[in-house]
Amino acid sequence: MKGNPTVIDSEAINNNHTAKIKKYRKMITILLFLAPALIVYALYVIYPIITTFGYSLHDWNGISDKVFIGLTNYSRLLSDEVFWISLKNNIWVVIASVFVQIPLGLLMALLLFAPIKGIRLFNGIYFIPFLMSTVAVGMLWGLMFDPINGTINQLINLLGFENVAWLSQKNTAIFSVLLVIVWQFAPFYMILFKAGIVGIAEDMYEAAEIDGANYIQKFRKITLPLLIPTIVTSSILAIVGSLKSFDLFYIMTGGGPNHATEILGTYMYKQAFVNFNMGYGSSIAFVMFLIALVVVIIIQSLDAYRKKRGDSL
Amino acid sequence: MKKILFMVIASSLIFLVACGNKKTTETKEVADKADQVVEFWHIETGEREKIYEEAALEFEKENPGVKVKLTRFPNDSYKEKLSVAMAGGEVPDVFQSWGGGWLKNFADEGNVLDITADVEENHFNQLTLDNSTYDGKVYGLPMGLTIDVVFYNKEIFDEYGLVPPKTFDEWLEIIDILNENNVIPIALTNKTKWPGAYYFMNFAARVGGPELFNNALNRQGQGFDDPAYVEAGKYIQELVERNAFNPGFNGVPYDEGQGRQLLYSGQAAMMDMTISMVNDIRNEAPDFEEKVDFFLFPTVEGGKGDQTQVGGSASPVFSVYEESEVAELSINYIKHLTNKERAYEYVERTGSLSAVAGVPPKNPLVKRFFEVTENATHIQMPYDQTLPPELGELHKDTTQALFALDMTPEEAAKKMEEKASQLLD
Repeated sequence: MKGNPTVIDSEAINNNHTAKIKKYRKMITILLFLAPALIVYALYVIYPIITTFGYSLHDWNGISDKVFIGLTNYSRLLSDEVFWISLKNNIWVVIASVFVQIPLGLLMALLLFAPIKGIRLFNGIYFIPFLMSTVAVGMLWGLMFDPINGTINQLINLLGFENVAWLSQKNTAIFSVLLVIVWQFAPFYMILFKAGIVGIAEDMYEAAEIDGANYIQKFRKITLPLLIPTIVTSSILAIVGSLKSFDLFYIMTGGGPNHATEILGTYMYKQAFVNFNMGYGSSIAFVMFLIALVVVIIIQSLDAYRKKRGDSL
Repeated sequence: MKKILFMVIASSLIFLVACGNKKTTETKEVADKADQVVEFWHIETGEREKIYEEAALEFEKENPGVKVKLTRFPNDSYKEKLSVAMAGGEVPDVFQSWGGGWLKNFADEGNVLDITADVEENHFNQLTLDNSTYDGKVYGLPMGLTIDVVFYNKEIFDEYGLVPPKTFDEWLEIIDILNENNVIPIALTNKTKWPGAYYFMNFAARVGGPELFNNALNRQGQGFDDPAYVEAGKYIQELVERNAFNPGFNGVPYDEGQGRQLLYSGQAAMMDMTISMVNDIRNEAPDFEEKVDFFLFPTVEGGKGDQTQVGGSASPVFSVYEESEVAELSINYIKHLTNKERAYEYVERTGSLSAVAGVPPKNPLVKRFFEVTENATHIQMPYDQTLPPELGELHKDTTQALFALDMTPEEAAKKMEEKASQLLD
């Protein structure tokens, strides 16, 4: 260990060329270590994205020969009413995830650290929804929302209200599904926040207590600022996850009634596999990718800017 | 240096390819050595499924070493499942479908085996065979023929002194009387959209006559914005406004059975459905069969259609995948499934009609279905089975929106015609 660097150093002085070789060698080593992951990544992520873009330039029903039509699919997309409805619904999902799910997760995490008797039981209870498979959750809530015998309707019957067809009325459908999304995924953010809170050093709170800070002050001045990185990560996960969401909508409403709960994911699926417009479906998929990419870049650069300023809330 | 990088990538690729190769050779060996397997996808439950299973067992006995692997899918998602399989080339050797335009789509792309040479003459009822025959080539063997009728609960009708209606106005009177007595007049399970589509097709045929749809499809003089289609939408909305259906009908799925439950339990009095519901009744509520009767979709005032024109479909239809490795066996299997003995079993046990010619049913209810088809002057295959898939979906979407009162009949007709002129002209 000791001898080697000096040897290389002297060589480097003698010959600039060997230094270059050294650098290359280092790069090769890095690449070698990266190669397995890189190959898998390229094969299963980058390659499909490129081929999807390729498909989106064609008129193709998924089986027959492809016909190249340039950007026609994209211009069609911009004038497609359903596409805009889907995008609007996706934005609803993003709003629900970021502004309801994350605060709720934070609240649950804080509750679990509060000195309340028996709170540890809720550790498990809060987390159960996230452990269930999405398909099961979708079917379960589908039955609960059932317009004839659903539990929720029976409950509101007791309160004297008429049955509501939650999932099949234009104005209630999207919010019913959003409720389920929040219910299922809030525990995930709860876990993230719990980990974040555990990571905050206990002595800070002690110092604050000595200075006479109360709960709210401790939360505002210590917990929240130190949780910012977690909040940023959660937001990225929530936003990208919402843009990609598909399963709950597909199971609970199938995008209906009359596209009232259509989101990009379900619309893409319908175009590609129900209407046999594989090319058009691919263009929707690619637009979804672009939107997610742009959003993540914006959040990341905002975060980088925040770090640079050394800012805290 | 580049060489090393190249070597690394190349060797990993070779590794990957080698893995891939190994797998395929392995499976091939297995297929050669062991029994031959015919994979069969279907959607049937109850007695129908049992008949498939028995047929499979018998076929295995007749062909030693052959295995038939049955896989059942839920009806509501089957179409999509099979489309995805077709796109990915992971198609079973034999699959069930509804024939029509949907199967034609796959036949046109060369995914379905042409079995014209294997069809015995006069074995099938020609009308049902036509449903899976395109340009004179047969792509599927039909097993059953179903029609759609309005089922009703005899007990409820007797209780309120009601007689099955012949006209729309009589039907409305019945609906009003039932509503006054807190009975849901009609059970409707329109989450999957096809049950409601039957109303639209029936009303359109009653208003515009049986040729309306073919004219619109073939772009001959009439379109999907024909006044008859607008009229059909108005009739649907009139029913909705009269509270003819159970609440939340657009959110009730057919498969799970909440809708049928309303009928079985006497909460609802009527249901427009295909006669394959008899199979469900026998499976789920055998006692209900004696209470059930049916009438044909009522006529409308001044309409060109009459009750000898019924909606129906040739289903199930069995087809063989073009690239099946056991094509010959598969053809023999679907012939076995549609032989005459099986047809008798099918009619007797499932309460359906057979697509095989000369198999009259014995059960009084089924016998009356049979008479309806014998006397029918026209059988309208479902639109979504006949239209190009995208237009078929739009038809179901707009019809569901009509039911929800989210769209006016004029708007729905206009949307249909726009898409039709885009796809068909």
